[in-house]
Amino acid sequence: MAGDEPAPDVGTARTAGTGFERIDWTAVDDADSTVPPAAVAAEALVFFSLVAAFVYDYVILANEAPTVGVVGWDVTGVEWLLVVVLAIGVFHAALPLARNRRLTAYYWRQFQKNRAAVVSLGFLGFVFLVGLVGPLIWTAPNEAIDYAAAYQPPVFAGGSWAYALGTDAQGRPLWHLIVYGMRVSLEVGLISMVFAISIGTVVGTAAAYFGGYVDEVLMRYVDLQQTFPVFILLLLLIYLYGASLLLIIALYGLFSWEGTARLVRSEALQRGEEAYVRAAEAAGAGRWWTIRRHLIPNVSSTVITAATLSIPVFILGEASLSFLGFGDPDVFSWGRTISAGRSDLPNAPWISTIPGLFLFLTVLAFNFVGDALRDAIDPR
Amino acid sequence: MGMEWYVVRRVAWAVVATYLAVSLTFGLLMVTPNAGADVAAAQAAASGQDYDAVRERYLERRGLDRPVEEQYIDYITNILTFDWGYSFSQGEPVLAAIGDAWVYSAQYFVPAIIISALLGYGIGLYSALNRYTPTDYLGSFVAYFGISIPNFWFAIVLILLFGVVLRLLPTFYDSSVALLSVQNVKQLLMPVVVLSTASVAGQMRYSRAQAIEYARSAFVKTARAKGASEWRVLTRHILRVALVPLSTILIADVLAVLFAGSFIIETIFQIPGLGRLALEAIQQKDTPLVLATTLIPVFIAIIGNLLQDLAYVALDPRIDYGDR
Repeated sequence: MAGDEPAPDVGTARTAGTGFERIDWTAVDDADSTVPPAAVAAEALVFFSLVAAFVYDYVILANEAPTVGVVGWDVTGVEWLLVVVLAIGVFHAALPLARNRRLTAYYWRQFQKNRAAVVSLGFLGFVFLVGLVGPLIWTAPNEAIDYAAAYQPPVFAGGSWAYALGTDAQGRPLWHLIVYGMRVSLEVGLISMVFAISIGTVVGTAAAYFGGYVDEVLMRYVDLQQTFPVFILLLLLIYLYGASLLLIIALYGLFSWEGTARLVRSEALQRGEEAYVRAAEAAGAGRWWTIRRHLIPNVSSTVITAATLSIPVFILGEASLSFLGFGDPDVFSWGRTISAGRSDLPNAPWISTIPGLFLFLTVLAFNFVGDALRDAIDPR
Repeated sequence: MGMEWYVVRRVAWAVVATYLAVSLTFGLLMVTPNAGADVAAAQAAASGQDYDAVRERYLERRGLDRPVEEQYIDYITNILTFDWGYSFSQGEPVLAAIGDAWVYSAQYFVPAIIISALLGYGIGLYSALNRYTPTDYLGSFVAYFGISIPNFWFAIVLILLFGVVLRLLPTFYDSSVALLSVQNVKQLLMPVVVLSTASVAGQMRYSRAQAIEYARSAFVKTARAKGASEWRVLTRHILRVALVPLSTILIADVLAVLFAGSFIIETIFQIPGLGRLALEAIQQKDTPLVLATTLIPVFIAIIGNLLQDLAYVALDPRIDYGDR
């Protein structure tokens, strides 16, 4: 252990041994563990109340009644999932980062070396915030239809400040369409990512650790899934079942984890050979204990990078589907707005180009941040 | 285990994968209500006939009221004997419709693959050997740009710029133009550029990373020490080993990019190729054609993966077959 690192609090575990120091390792483990019992309890409480609220919304509240009456927000199925994903993010990303100040500061210094990535992170923070609270501030595009205000150009092309980014063929302000599109992209990117990364990590570590037939069966399945082009499968399933945002998100989550599984497997295979895993096994640690305590934390840098770089793929995929007309007809995806503006390209080019610019910048920012994260947390 | 055994196993796996993919489509069709029957029945109901009776007759005529196992055997046999049914939306057998369409897809698909492979690997290898030079940074910028730009938006911006504002290129594809003519090249220019941009970026990033790994290895240093020229080091030493992982991404990722891209490009530029055929089939609920346009990319992917694994055998003598 390096000199400047704070030593784990083992004082209570130390007993006055004769000759050798005697250490109660379970106590050390508990003290060393980054998750205090209070956080676990809080997480359990949050998830319990989420489940309760979900049941209340679906069983007791009528279908049309808004869930949060004050702001008139009727939480949909996808939005419930987003809330769950955000809660997971708070407890498994934000809290650990806030607790390990020193490590966070170190990563931040590494990350800051990449100027483009810092700017990208700022832009993504903006998209995240606007996508999250924007729909509560600005009215839904369909409530803002105003045929008198159709085809208003954006302010830099001679338009008025009332419609800063212009309006579309039905007079809907483009900014409203973009804000609602941010929400859709946020949902698709984050929820699919959590699905895909969780499945990929579990499958990858299981294959690496158990080996033999488990490995063979899991990896053959991964081969098969990799062969089947996801986009084609999505089109087939949308053809058979009809388009909904939930279906698109679920399908992306369930059918695009094979890359992560492969990465995690090869990483875990290397880690599995290392001394600390051997030591844990020699000390009598069970399989799940070894996987949970030693393998998964040590492949996390791979997983975090893969997670960040998978988000733009999902966002682009959903936008492409919507562009082709296979998106959810009830949500205002950027792809849908871009597609709708195509027929007005010669006379109102802003309808297609401005939402596309936001889509492009969002995807670009995720790619910058993902690569900078890889450089920051993955020393190789 | 010897090489022959490995090849046999790979071919066997391709057969199994094909069988599973075909079975999967059958399973999906079985658990969902028949869209074609619903359309036919709805049309009949609109003209005053009994909805359920028409629906049943529709199913009966296509043998869809028989036991599942009988239908399954029939289905597999038909697929394997290339009896893929009749497409009502195109008014011809499914395979004939595909035979008409693939020429249009190949016209921009093949140039895009060749351009993206040459440019992607070329720029990737060049930046790996000239790291932190302006050219390398330019290459990285192009790679980020290509990966991040939504190809449908890129196509729209190109049409706006070159078609609407500058009026240099036609804004959509005209299938009456002769195959070998300047006009045809001009109208294929934008589709090829859009499609290759996305796959160039992926290949460039990957080949750069691979070549950097090998550029520091002992055998490359040895070759340099023996006085081999940079060109010889690149082609005989780095490329020889890097080709193995590079062929992986060429098949797996590029095929995926191109399949998804072909739907979008054919929609935007109105090219009557396979992507458009698939979309029309979905919109018109033409199930035999939907199946065919789903299975063909899957078969191509399976064969591609098989060829790639067989190429491994030829390219890299170090592979341990016992491990696979």
